[in-house]
Amino acid sequence: MAILLWLPSLTQAEEWPVGSIRTLKGTALVERQNQKLAAKIGDKIFIGDTLKTDSEGSLGIIFKDNSLLSLGPNTILTVKEFLFSPAEGKLSLVARLLKGTMASLSGIIAKLSPESVRLETPVGNVGIRGTKFAVKIQESSMESPQPDS
Amino acid sequence: MNYLKLFFSGFFLLVLFSYGCCRLPEKNVFLLLPSPDGQTGKIVITNPAGSQLLTQPNQATEISKAGEAPSTPFIMEEKQIRDLFGAALDAQPLPAQQFLLYFKPGSTELTDESKKFFPEIFQTIKARNSTDVSIIGHTDRVGTREANFKVGLTRANFIKETLISSGLDPQIVEVLSHGEDNPLIQTEDGVPEPKNRRVEITIR
Repeated sequence: MAILLWLPSLTQAEEWPVGSIRTLKGTALVERQNQKLAAKIGDKIFIGDTLKTDSEGSLGIIFKDNSLLSLGPNTILTVKEFLFSPAEGKLSLVARLLKGTMASLSGIIAKLSPESVRLETPVGNVGIRGTKFAVKIQESSMESPQPDS
Repeated sequence: MNYLKLFFSGFFLLVLFSYGCCRLPEKNVFLLLPSPDGQTGKIVITNPAGSQLLTQPNQATEISKAGEAPSTPFIMEEKQIRDLFGAALDAQPLPAQQFLLYFKPGSTELTDESKKFFPEIFQTIKARNSTDVSIIGHTDRVGTREANFKVGLTRANFIKETLISSGLDPQIVEVLSHGEDNPLIQTEDGVPEPKNRRVEITIR
């Protein structure tokens, strides 16, 4: 019965915001289904969104599980997966950093299911066991992407 | 001549020092940081060539180019961390803020204690300029699971309506129920537990 009650959140997961932009400096873009939108504080973030900052830009978001993620200048990051339904055991947070710098502080998903949180980069993947960390990927690494492991 | 020798050996030492001891990693860097609560977790960096586990605060590993294994871990100094990651770290948002409201048994009536939180909730939303507020209803384990899911939802909706009637923007609110499945205190079925009869308001 509980499963039935939770179905609406499953079927609509793709259209639901997974977080929002809380900090912004300089210029940043949100690419969503071939649209390029100028990022603003308060904007909602959806699965599949690619965030881009310019040479003076930075941007910070809070996900629905209270994870914090922020980008430094000249950075490209895609939100690949986000599932946060503890009652269904559906938990996942996967992002891909293509270039630039980012910092992250884990939220509830990492607490409940650490193996469900992953950062992918062109040179390797990061598994996260509930913590704060930062990553820098240089631009030339984009040209020879690593196959997903 | 001796001065020249001295100059060159000094120069050599300087080069050795700046490259060997405290060089700034320039390539792909993965850095573990202490969390705000003072704890440090773990990250593991993996690619087909190898894997490194970081467990110490400010410990890092570097991958000089795609296809190479993560380097032997090293400790980064505060200044290096600021130089590489200052902008990204400064862009971290404030952590989400949570309020717990408690109910009298089986009702949507708040305890007198909990009613006092309302002004602070509004203040927080305003101060943070929040566009993302979650209201999640929870119950104890008295009654069926199914009924408790509904009670949780009723409580969360009651709080939502109360806040909206006081001026909260409905566009920024999301209402959920976790029923009896996400208790603060674990109990046997059928046990009344005031701490579990709650609505959590998370302001992001």
